[in-house]
Amino acid sequence: MENNPAETTPAKKQSEPIWVSVLPEEFRDFLNEVGEIVRFVMRFFREVFMPPYELKEIFHQSYEIGYRSLPLVALTAFIIGLVLTLQSRPTLARFGAESWLPAMVGISIIREIGPVIVALVCAGKIGSSIGAELGSMKVTEQIDAMEVSGTNPFKYIVVSRIISTTFMIPILVIMGDAVALIGSFIAVKLTSAISITLFFNQVFESTDFSDFIPAFVKTFFFGFAIGLVGCYKGYNSKKGTEGVGESANSSVVIASLLVFIIDLIAVQITQFFGYL
Amino acid sequence: METISRTNTEALPKYGESIIEISSLCKSFGDNYVLNQFNLTVRRGENVVVLGKSGCGKSVLIKCVVGLLKYEEGSLQVFGKEINSLKQKELDEMRARIGFVFQSSALYDSMTVRQNLEFALRRHGKGKTKQEVDQLVEEMLDNVSLANAINLMPSELSGGMRKRIGLARSLILKPELMLYDEPTTGLDPITAEEISNMMLAMQHKYNTSSIIISHDMHCARLTANRLAVMIDGINYAEGTFEELSKMNDPKVNAFFKKQ
Ligand SMILES: Nc1ncnc2c1ncn2[C@@H]1O[C@H](COP(=O)(O)OP(=O)(O)OP(=O)(O)O)[C@@H](O)[C@H]1O
Ligand SMILES: [Mg+2]
Repeated sequence: MENNPAETTPAKKQSEPIWVSVLPEEFRDFLNEVGEIVRFVMRFFREVFMPPYELKEIFHQSYEIGYRSLPLVALTAFIIGLVLTLQSRPTLARFGAESWLPAMVGISIIREIGPVIVALVCAGKIGSSIGAELGSMKVTEQIDAMEVSGTNPFKYIVVSRIISTTFMIPILVIMGDAVALIGSFIAVKLTSAISITLFFNQVFESTDFSDFIPAFVKTFFFGFAIGLVGCYKGYNSKKGTEGVGESANSSVVIASLLVFIIDLIAVQITQFFGYL
Repeated sequence: METISRTNTEALPKYGESIIEISSLCKSFGDNYVLNQFNLTVRRGENVVVLGKSGCGKSVLIKCVVGLLKYEEGSLQVFGKEINSLKQKELDEMRARIGFVFQSSALYDSMTVRQNLEFALRRHGKGKTKQEVDQLVEEMLDNVSLANAINLMPSELSGGMRKRIGLARSLILKPELMLYDEPTTGLDPITAEEISNMMLAMQHKYNTSSIIISHDMHCARLTANRLAVMIDGINYAEGTFEELSKMNDPKVNAFFKKQ
């Protein structure tokens, strides 16, 4: 009599307005999910300010999330900086504007490529690990066990991770930017005799705070989105091994998508405020 | 013939007020009606063993008691309060008075045994100083004879060891009500008896009430003041070990046959 116990919670028989029952099933599921996510976010903001604060766990997660991602972020950023420079050179050379290379690459990295690439790498690495870890905690009843001991698993597990990603991604982005610029310097150095001081002078002369600040601010949102999606998917994971895989997978997909959407919105906002 | 080693009933002649009152409880998953008008009362200081076939809803029952699952109909009162209508904060306060031993142990894999035991202790502010906490943890591990496992990770433990750590983790808060989900399943007879004795000791020392889910008749005989047989989602029969074992009902007898 093994009827699959896969979350067959009774269909909620609340009286729905007519117009709701007309909507297609998929769309209603989508709206339900959005509602759940909004509730999850509201719960986060309610609990983040309420004591007790799980400071130890926040530091532990920041170490796991931030420090452990550094090698991957650095490697990716270095290669991107190098390749971007190598690829841009012929085009600039055709217009005789080779001397603009540091400035152009610097602006691209600081404004756009650095934040987005680092965020995407982190969406893959951190998003999947949070999704899988929380998913397996859910499946092995560890979250239930915290709950029945009268402690608050949401605060310990979810709030600490979201805070960590929100503050670690910006730091990783700054480090990634720096490493990408070094990669870029090496690429420039390959063909022209430029000193590192001159290179960075050229980069910083052509950029100012209005390039850096909006790009930096949006990374907090990237970090928040990555932590949120991983935690939401893991915390609401379905039972079974499949559930864990699914939450890891969908965390990565949704977090990456959100990074692009946030980026798009951020660009619109910065343009609106005249930071062009 | 069997000689009942201890008639636990005599040790505690009368019990206090009722701690759990379940009446007409219904819980279903889709079309699967797991609990169907289930009734049970547990009084202070009383051990009630729930017997039932695998998959009949025993785990679901105690998950409802502790508010992990919401029931649809009927009434379930713990410490005089209706579980479904409690706010999160009230529920958390109540849960601090309840110990729950999971069938799957549910140890926190990212923490050592020590941290597993400390987790709830620290968050409920029991044990003020580090020394006090350490002492409580060591004492509890001694009780389950796993004092030397204190710094191991759950992945380094055997199934039976996990089970005992899970038990220690719930008992460390000295709860007034314990819910054991198959505490002795999968243990050798010697350890199983030790665990049964420990559950009895808790009952006598702290006047704890318990619901014990078990297939282990030896454990049931040792620990139960009263047994309830769950069949098809109802409380089919209830009574002391002797009463039930002498009952003339094939469905009930099936549980006592192997003795
Ligand atoms: N989360 C859930 N979603 C759907 N169905 C569930 C869920 N949990 C339990 N069930 C169903 O409820 C029934 C009772 O399950 P339960 O775990 O209580 O059995 P049990 O009596 O504890 O069995 P065992 O002795 O094997 O542990 C089963 O048919 C199971 O399929
Ligand atoms: Mg069970």
